[in-house]
Amino acid sequence: MAEGAHQTSSAAMRPSEMLFKKLHNFINCRESRTSTLPQRRITHEAAEEEELSYQTTGCLSSYYSIFVARLAIMVMLAILIGMLTMLTWHFTRVYTTKSINSLAYGLRYELLQRPILRMWNILNSTVELTMAQVKLSEYVIGHYDKPSAQEQVELYQMMKDVTWALFASRRALDAITISYRNGFVQAFHRDHLSNNTFYIYSELVSEGEAQGGRIHKSRDRNASAIWYRERLNPVTGEKEGDRRQIPPDDLITIAGLPEVRDGAASWHVAVSKFTDSPLLSAALPVRHPTGGSLMAAVGVTTALKSVGQLMKELVDYHSGYMYLTSLEGYVLATSTDAPLLRNTTTGRKLMMATDLEDHITRAGAEWLQRANGNKFPINHEVHAENVLLGNQRYYIDSFFLNLKRLPLVGVIIIPRKYIMGDVDQIGFTTLVILISASICILAIGCVCILILTSGVSKAMKLKAQLISHLDARRRAEASSNYKSQFLANMSHELRTPMAAVIGLLDILIYDNCLTNEQFATLTQIRKCSTALLRLLNNILDLSKVESGKLVLEEAEFDLGRELEGLVDMFSVQCIDHNVETILDLSDDMPKVVRGDSARIVQIFTNLISNSIKFTSEGHIILRGWCESSNCSRQPEGSKDQKMSQCAPRNKLKQNESILKKEYQKNDRITLWFEVEDTGCGIDPSKWESVFESFEQADPSTTRTHGGTGLGLCIVRNLVNKMGGEIKVAKKDGQGTLMQLYLVLGMPEDGNVNSFQTEFGKYSLKVLLALHGRQSRFVMTQWLRGKGVFTWEASEWNGLTQILRQVFQENMECATSESLNMSRMRVVHRETNLHKMGGSDILIVVDTALLDQSTNIWNQQLIFLEQYCGKAKFAWVLSHNTSNAIKVELRRRGHFLMISKPLYKTKMIHILDAVVNEVNFKNQNGRNLLNSTMDEDLHESHELDSIHFDAISSDDSDASNLDKQNSKMNTFSSEEEIIERMPESHQPNSNSRKMSTQRVSLDKIIKNPNISLAMENSLNMSEDFIEIDKHGNKSMDYSTSIVTDQNPLEGLHILLVEDNQILQRVATAMLEKKGAKVTTAGDGMQAVDAIKCMLCAEEIKRQNSSHKGGVAGLSELQTYPSFNLVLMDCQMPKLDGYEATKAIRNLEAGTGLHIPIIAVTAHAMSSDEAKCLDVGMDAYLTKPIDSKLMVSTVLSLTQRDV
Amino acid sequence: MEVAHLQRRFIDLTTTLFQQGILDNQFIQLQQLQDESNPNFVHEVVSLFFQDSEKLLNELSRILDHQIVDFKIVDAHVHQFKGSSASIGAQRIKDVCIAFRSCCEENNRDGCIRCLQQVKQEYCLVKSNLEDLFRLEKQILAAGGSIPTMQ
Repeated sequence: MAEGAHQTSSAAMRPSEMLFKKLHNFINCRESRTSTLPQRRITHEAAEEEELSYQTTGCLSSYYSIFVARLAIMVMLAILIGMLTMLTWHFTRVYTTKSINSLAYGLRYELLQRPILRMWNILNSTVELTMAQVKLSEYVIGHYDKPSAQEQVELYQMMKDVTWALFASRRALDAITISYRNGFVQAFHRDHLSNNTFYIYSELVSEGEAQGGRIHKSRDRNASAIWYRERLNPVTGEKEGDRRQIPPDDLITIAGLPEVRDGAASWHVAVSKFTDSPLLSAALPVRHPTGGSLMAAVGVTTALKSVGQLMKELVDYHSGYMYLTSLEGYVLATSTDAPLLRNTTTGRKLMMATDLEDHITRAGAEWLQRANGNKFPINHEVHAENVLLGNQRYYIDSFFLNLKRLPLVGVIIIPRKYIMGDVDQIGFTTLVILISASICILAIGCVCILILTSGVSKAMKLKAQLISHLDARRRAEASSNYKSQFLANMSHELRTPMAAVIGLLDILIYDNCLTNEQFATLTQIRKCSTALLRLLNNILDLSKVESGKLVLEEAEFDLGRELEGLVDMFSVQCIDHNVETILDLSDDMPKVVRGDSARIVQIFTNLISNSIKFTSEGHIILRGWCESSNCSRQPEGSKDQKMSQCAPRNKLKQNESILKKEYQKNDRITLWFEVEDTGCGIDPSKWESVFESFEQADPSTTRTHGGTGLGLCIVRNLVNKMGGEIKVAKKDGQGTLMQLYLVLGMPEDGNVNSFQTEFGKYSLKVLLALHGRQSRFVMTQWLRGKGVFTWEASEWNGLTQILRQVFQENMECATSESLNMSRMRVVHRETNLHKMGGSDILIVVDTALLDQSTNIWNQQLIFLEQYCGKAKFAWVLSHNTSNAIKVELRRRGHFLMISKPLYKTKMIHILDAVVNEVNFKNQNGRNLLNSTMDEDLHESHELDSIHFDAISSDDSDASNLDKQNSKMNTFSSEEEIIERMPESHQPNSNSRKMSTQRVSLDKIIKNPNISLAMENSLNMSEDFIEIDKHGNKSMDYSTSIVTDQNPLEGLHILLVEDNQILQRVATAMLEKKGAKVTTAGDGMQAVDAIKCMLCAEEIKRQNSSHKGGVAGLSELQTYPSFNLVLMDCQMPKLDGYEATKAIRNLEAGTGLHIPIIAVTAHAMSSDEAKCLDVGMDAYLTKPIDSKLMVSTVLSLTQRDV
Repeated sequence: MEVAHLQRRFIDLTTTLFQQGILDNQFIQLQQLQDESNPNFVHEVVSLFFQDSEKLLNELSRILDHQIVDFKIVDAHVHQFKGSSASIGAQRIKDVCIAFRSCCEENNRDGCIRCLQQVKQEYCLVKSNLEDLFRLEKQILAAGGSIPTMQ
């Protein structure tokens, strides 16, 4: 968030700017997102695209919500801070202002009240004085009722004295006038300017004229009337100056009679030229005490200056301005020095307040005038607090004093500053500080919110993505689950038609009226179908593993045998590719383990087939060893390591018994395996991904190698399921090295020892003349480990050279130098050479060493013939070894033949055979027994290379293939079948047991074989060496030809089926094919029948061994002896699985194995596996296809007849 | 003339049965199994089937009438029915039986009842058709003709 940093650096950034940035970013973000979309669209599927847009919208909406949330938080913060500010300001400022205001109001009121009171006082005192004057005048005048002239003078004198007394008592008085009815005027006047006191009187010009009503006239006739003025001592009233006539202009205002006619006191404000201030003059009439007639008028004039002075004092102290006006607006007093009067042409006049010189006062007056609309309503008071006059703010208050004659208005103008002082300023600064502080806090808060929410928004964004991913994953999983479910459920529906197709193809191929072309096409179709079925099986397996339905079983099985079978199977394929297949299992591996054999075989099948697919030349090695606590055998990468590890392996063998105990203790064993090939290898970056579904290391190889990429995925799933791991390991040189380990159970009885014959003690020497370098190397290593002396030869010349040297020197110690020639090596030398000379030399020759392209091989055989007496020959055949060679070999008496690949078990058997033969010979030699027979002793050591029952259900196709191969081979008369067909010998029922197939084979063999009874168990049928003894009689059967009509002729089949209809149909089918059928209604009956049969067999056996004679035999033969059982799986009482188990239990110990074919309506691979696991040999689905049934029956009976 | 007519009708009937999927190849297999040693094989098997089926169907209806159904038993019966119908090649019955069994696995009683109805219908269809077929066969035989073989 560069933006955030930027913001913090400039915290004071305006919100709008921030908002803009935010939006900008947002838009950018969207744009970039939309711009990336099209690119992805090209590469991605529609679904993903949808998801993407979903994501985008999700992100968008979350972005919006975050944006809104941020905005909301900011707005709320702003409101909060604003409210706080306002409240603080309000409480600090408004309340103080209010209280100050109320105080200020009181102050202003008080201030104004005082001059008004003064005014009031002045008025009152004036009135009182006037009243006193009036009373005195009345009293004096009353004395002189109807005065004479003398008395008149006295009266006037008295009046003058009285008036003077009053006048003198009041210094504030401006004037007292008395105007008599007769026009005579007496007046005292103080001139405040000159500080003189005058007595003014008028000369009575004509007394008679001085009648009431003439006063006005007399005034008007001031020019005619003569006014005198005497200056008086202000204190004593003594006359100081002379009497001076004064001009009318200087005359003071004299209250006349007309003014007081109504008898009430009259008031008015007057001006005089002697004072600057307005004068308050009051007039009252003087009435005759008795008559009540108007005698005179008394006027008292008081200057209002004192009020102004009071105001001035107040204002000086409090600052501000005051003035008093009359109701008309004339200013009576102000606090300023401004003149209150103005000179006009007509004399001095009062001023209006608005005309005052002092501009503040004038402005205040003007404001008031504006506010009141130029008229003062009674009792209207104005209190304005905030009036801007000039540059300052003022309080303006007006008070109204309602006097009867003279209503007054007082106005006070006080600067606001005086009352509020700094309150306003402080309030303002407080406000400014608060606002700026809150803005700062807001900004910081917003930044904090941004920072905080940016983190939160990131988290939210991630969360939203996560949620959408989870959702998508859930959906994907669900769909994958549906897929798995679907596939699992579809297995029946899918497999049945496929099985039918393949079965029908088999039948078609069976048909011998096909042209070659048709046959080739059919074979091709068969291959394709098989491939399809395999793919199907793979997918089904995978889905099964994925849907968790796969349950591994725990059963004992012979791991070595399974793997050998596997290698046998693949070697055929490999030889075509010019690839060696080598099985290298360490001796410490337990022979029998517990686990799911089918799945383990599947693992290795997949791995090996995968290796074969990518290996064009070289070798494929399957190594196996057992992890032990004392020797952890981690990755065994190179051959060098391999070699060095041979020594510890030997040690291990010695410690085997100890290890065995260990195994027993912990019950589980970890087995390590390696599958190494020399193919194209896997890029290290793909080592992990090759185990994914539908993944191939190099997509381009799909075209050349095919495959779905499911194999390794299944392998890994299975390996993991077995508690192991698989990985691709680093390998020196070209190719791939897969390492895996499996955790398998140990058998409960702890019988793990593989019988280990110490061949070392027979002092055998083995010459390995094998073509394959790796297999030879491995074998040599092993033999050496066993203490067997070994030579190696890889080609014909080397072989001959060694032979020559070995035999010419007659076992004399040939120096290693001489033997080192021509790619042969003396590996080991035994010091104590056996005395028996060459007879204990075993020469293992690969037929590939013979020159098969021309007829030279015959010469080569003849060459080898010379050593026949001195050494034993064992021949390693490959499937493509020509018939002629085999025949020739047999003719020459080489019967020890094995098919490729050569691995330890086979080697052990060869060695066993050699050792036994040697022993046998020795015995013969000593006992001189059957010397004639010895002559003709031909031995055919036959190793069955195919493990029918070893192939798991999942490789049923493969096994089918093999079965089919065998069939095909049979009918195309290939010789290889000789190796496959162990010819069992049952002395008593010899003739009956001969199947037509075998007869045809015997015909081909053309060799009279002497069979030697040898106890072997059928359970270990694969690897036994059987020496058959055939009489010439068997040739008798050679004429019969295989007919398709009754392929099951001579077989007695036990059909176990509870469903009558099925029973009927199957019986009909089988009988039509020539078989004899006995039916059993359920598992119980079947088991009983088998029990009877086994008993009969047992008795027969006993009879034959005791030479009990033929007599008992005939009655026993009435018991049916079944060649095969067809077993329905779902039956009442005892179902097919249980019945099979019971039968197998019965068989245990007798060495018999009756083939059981399951017939079931279930077609899941697991069902098939279940069938095979309980001991059934094959599997047919309902409804029974007769041809498929026949072929299955044949494949089983041929093997076991 | 009569025989040829009957034979044509027989073939027509059989082909329709195959086309409608009422029968499948298994039936042909049955017919092929019939020979001199087993002259009445098909009829025998089919009669067996009818007996068996009616028993089973009755049993199923009885079980499904109850409110509480033991689906295992139903499943076993249906399995048997499926097996026998498959054996005579009554394909459609077999198909319905598969659905029936899946209903059983879900313990869906309503589904089971519905399937039972279907199975009954199919069964009636098969039965009437097969009876027709056998009647025709008999007529053909009585008229001295031979049963045409289907391929």
